[in-house]
Amino acid sequence: MVKRDLITRHPFGLQGDEPDILSEGEFGAVLSRAGVGKTALLVQLALNAMLRDKNVLHISLNDPVDKITLWYKELFHHLSQRHAALPASQLWNSLLPHRFIMTFKIAAFSVPKLRERLADLTEQDIFHPDMVIIDGLRFDESIRECLVELKTLAAEQSLHVWFSVHTHRHEESPSGVFPSSLRNIQDLFDVALQLQPDGTDIRIQPLKGPAHVVSGLSQLALDASSMLIK
Amino acid sequence: MDDKKVRNIGISAHIDSGKTTLTERILFYTKRIHAIHDVKGKDGVGATMDSMELEKERGITIASAATFCQWRGHEINIIDTPGHVDFTVEVERSLRVLDGAVLVLCAVGGVQSQSITVDQQMKRYKVPCIAFVNKCDRSGANPFRVIGQLRSKLGHNAVAMQMPIGLENNFEGIIDLVSMKAVYFDGENGEIVRVEKIPDALLPEAVEKREVLVDAASMFSDELTEAILEERNIPEDLLISALRKGTLTREITLVLMGSAYKNKGVQPMLDAVTALLPCPADMKNEALDLAHNEQSVILSSNPADPAVALAFKLEDGAYGQLTYIRVYQGSIGKGDTIVNARTEKKVKVGRVVRMHADQMEDLDVIPAGYIGALFGIDCASGDTFASPGITLAMSSMFVAEPVISLSITPKDNKAQINMSKALNRFTKEDPTFKTHVDDETKETIIEGMGELHLEIYVERMRREYGAEVETGHPRVAYRETITRKAEFNYTHKKQTGGSGQYARVAGYIEPTTEGDFEFVNKVTGGSIPTQFISACEKGFRACMAKGPKLEFPVTGVRVVINDGASHSVDSSEMAFQSGARGGFLEAYAKAGVVIHEPVMKVVVETPTEFQGPCMGLLNQRRGMIVGSQDDGPMCVIESQVPLAEMFGFSTVLRSATQGQAQFTMEFALYKLVPQSIAEELVETAAKAKKGK
Repeated sequence: MVKRDLITRHPFGLQGDEPDILSEGEFGAVLSRAGVGKTALLVQLALNAMLRDKNVLHISLNDPVDKITLWYKELFHHLSQRHAALPASQLWNSLLPHRFIMTFKIAAFSVPKLRERLADLTEQDIFHPDMVIIDGLRFDESIRECLVELKTLAAEQSLHVWFSVHTHRHEESPSGVFPSSLRNIQDLFDVALQLQPDGTDIRIQPLKGPAHVVSGLSQLALDASSMLIK
Repeated sequence: MDDKKVRNIGISAHIDSGKTTLTERILFYTKRIHAIHDVKGKDGVGATMDSMELEKERGITIASAATFCQWRGHEINIIDTPGHVDFTVEVERSLRVLDGAVLVLCAVGGVQSQSITVDQQMKRYKVPCIAFVNKCDRSGANPFRVIGQLRSKLGHNAVAMQMPIGLENNFEGIIDLVSMKAVYFDGENGEIVRVEKIPDALLPEAVEKREVLVDAASMFSDELTEAILEERNIPEDLLISALRKGTLTREITLVLMGSAYKNKGVQPMLDAVTALLPCPADMKNEALDLAHNEQSVILSSNPADPAVALAFKLEDGAYGQLTYIRVYQGSIGKGDTIVNARTEKKVKVGRVVRMHADQMEDLDVIPAGYIGALFGIDCASGDTFASPGITLAMSSMFVAEPVISLSITPKDNKAQINMSKALNRFTKEDPTFKTHVDDETKETIIEGMGELHLEIYVERMRREYGAEVETGHPRVAYRETITRKAEFNYTHKKQTGGSGQYARVAGYIEPTTEGDFEFVNKVTGGSIPTQFISACEKGFRACMAKGPKLEFPVTGVRVVINDGASHSVDSSEMAFQSGARGGFLEAYAKAGVVIHEPVMKVVVETPTEFQGPCMGLLNQRRGMIVGSQDDGPMCVIESQVPLAEMFGFSTVLRSATQGQAQFTMEFALYKLVPQSIAEELVETAAKAKKGK
């Protein structure tokens, strides 16, 4: 089975049969500076979930639908090429129903609105997400409230959420601790991964998480050219 | 004639944003027509550009008529582009002959899904454009919101070149931010342009907006940047030339505003067309050299060079076939001999004319960069004409395969004759419209890009040709293909008196992704004599047209023959063809046949409150929703839906959203039909067979 092959070869599948890094209602974060590969990592997390027949709702606050589709296409293409999985196009078509992309203008995004949209999808039985990706949320002072609301929503809908967190160079902390601006919301996240450029690679440095996840992930890195996990 | 003073422009827009009204006004102000009618005029005359009756009735523009007018010493050819998505071939063809375009947007509706499609096409053909925000007199009008949408939805660097004086009911005129003057339109039809100083109340805003404009223009001119830094007075022509530079490279989209219906802002827009949009010499036109592997060649716009011209539109008038052409190089005049690059036939040019909707004017010659029409020339749309000895062709335009078909039966004998006349003409005009006669049912089948596409042609047949036809149910162009390798070893034998038939063909068929059909001959040692190999291929190929399972065309099959046998007396071409057919049927049954159906990319644009119901509708139709884009008051849902489920969608969508949602549809890909649907198809096919 081609699909099976891709999953077990998918680097995140290395952690045995354990289904997801996060369980229901939990939050995960990918932190880095602009352009290091937050979205690339998140899309790979999503692809991994989709390969295991999980439904992924990808919410983007800065890119249009077309661009996000392109991210998925590109990374899947790289991935299937690396593993010479054939016929990739058929597999790709079977993956697509597991993905739903929603985009909002940053200003238009709010948790009640998301709740409404989600209700649209689940009540009509169109799409039931298991995993949500929120890319491009601004982590400013007032974000805690929004995150707490989201946490309730996640628990209700039994899904887990991955966030991309844009950090700034000046607040980067060298020794793998949370950036100072995010300390007050640190407790809301169950797993946090920081991306660090390191020569031709981008290292994935866990800042927080259960011990087995941390040890599993700390050896991983992204290839800077293909953005694939090595 | 000075080709620096020529503008070939298109007016491109969403349905209902007032394109035809705008064109009508342009023709009025350029004194081409002497009275104004509206698209759905009470007087029943209708706007001049819509030369077809049907368009008049529906209030939409289908065919792209080219019309000519003059404005302040410039010659403007207007190609009226169709606004509906089902006619995108015509849109694309007219974009090919344009040098620039005016993108008309509604000040209330803003950038709608159709505008996005049209904009993508303009991008593809690199057509420079300016935007005209129409309907500023309507309630809810906000030109600056539209500018925001141009930036966010279409990614244009949109900058206002004017600002409105009052809006909605109080819309009085515009402020020109280049000359910093207020412009009003007086007279019964707004024909008197009155220029005054800017009202004090609006001055601060105007100064601010001008700064934005100047700032944007400074990107394209060092001289202008210097002038700004030195805080000198900025000369108008310097600003205009910088803006023109940006427009030509599509790096800036200047936005004008007005209300065509209320006769405001049209003349300044014409000024902008002449000042900002390119003349033919500004544009680089490429042709393909047929003698050198279709290498692209850049055409010179020199009228003395050999002629190259493109026939972009055919029209059947009272005097025979009229062919609209654009000359790219050299010139075409009365009495010249030109060659059709496709058929290689020589043609002698008779009358050369210039069209203004329904009236025409005789010319002696059409030089490079100009648009005109020829009489009595037999050709198809998209053909290239060149001087004898020239092997250039304008690049062949991308033409999609039809995805839907419909059977038509003429009601009486007269209709029969007229119908074939009409079909003959439509297929020449529109490459995506095809027709053939079904071998078995003897019905005439028409094929096209969508339900509406075919409906319009059926209507046109009735109206323009008086051919009443009955239509069958639309049929989706399904395809059959195989999923696994299967072997065959078939012996065709008939010995019932007289000369017998004998052929044995063996080999296998397997799925291929390269092309629809491939035939590989691996026969060694002459077990099938060489002279019969081509008969085998012919036999296999014949099986591809109608699959044994459901009678849909078969695609993606590679046939390999590797063995066989022949008889010295009884083998013949016929026998091997039959042998091949038998072999194919034998293997096909084992090859895991599946059905593929055309899946359309459907984009629905709806007010946010109807997002849920719209998604529901798409979902019910086996649609897969790719994503949704929230844009404040409007949202866009992108999905992939099988064409078979899209019949009647527009009606359902309209009623679910109080008529506020719109959708566009284009072919995306062929996809496997789900098992349950496939079974249904098999059943209906079996029934149909029985019924025959």
